[in-house]
Amino acid sequence: MIHDPQAAAWLVWLESSALAIAMRKWMWLYPAVEIAHIIGIVALVGGAVLFDLRLLGFSRSLPVATLARHLLPWSRVGLGLMALSGALMFAAHATEWAENPAFRLKMLLIIAAGLNAWAFHRWPFRSVAGWDREVPAPLRARAAALLSIALWLSVIACGRLLAYL
Amino acid sequence: MKTLYAVLLALTLSTPPALAHHGWSGYDGDKTMNLTGTIREAGYEHPHGYVKLEVPGKTWFVVLAPPSRMENRGLQRAALTAGKTVTVVGYPNRTDPNELRAERITLDGKTTELR
Repeated sequence: MIHDPQAAAWLVWLESSALAIAMRKWMWLYPAVEIAHIIGIVALVGGAVLFDLRLLGFSRSLPVATLARHLLPWSRVGLGLMALSGALMFAAHATEWAENPAFRLKMLLIIAAGLNAWAFHRWPFRSVAGWDREVPAPLRARAAALLSIALWLSVIACGRLLAYL
Repeated sequence: MKTLYAVLLALTLSTPPALAHHGWSGYDGDKTMNLTGTIREAGYEHPHGYVKLEVPGKTWFVVLAPPSRMENRGLQRAALTAGKTVTVVGYPNRTDPNELRAERITLDGKTTELR
């Protein structure tokens, strides 16, 4: 059943695709994809938030650049897993999610979080050698860290709430 | 920043919240309904199964349980087919007058709890 046959053609097409039908009808595919999505959140948000906490001044003995090399690749793996599993879940109910306010807000928040991470690496992180250990990170780095935590926690909240709105 | 807030507000308000069926809180638990009718369409689908239930004067969209739960409790995919007469006990959606969330369903003389 297509949730909203009057929706945009590409959404109807996506929701009618074999992949979307498999998502809805195969007994264990949907829950498996949901599990992958949660593992993705853990890797992405776990890595990002732990790095942000270091930027905010926790555990200043840990070198920021080393920590970034350790944590952020796992965040990227998590992002890939989330995008893949998220796309499958979106396809399963494309016309429904596309008009869900929590889903729309979630997509905007993800874009904002991505831009924030990009800006952090583009500007304050360039000078990391100067504040790698034992000194406070520059204000712009701390602001990016705070924004990152706020955005990712909001993404999680929207992700959960979209099933209830 | 003001523009961002305006965009968020517009996105949030632009569609009526008529979709909710995950939680039970979207349904009025004080108005237990007992419907007997004919299945016009059935879906054994994630995240919840459903039947379109025709009763005299109306067709309800009845939200059931996740298929894995229904299978666990003995309500097989093959049992949920159009044309059958079934009884459901459930609660109406608070905003969608055509949707009902089923607490239990009885078909082929067998009752399955869905919560």
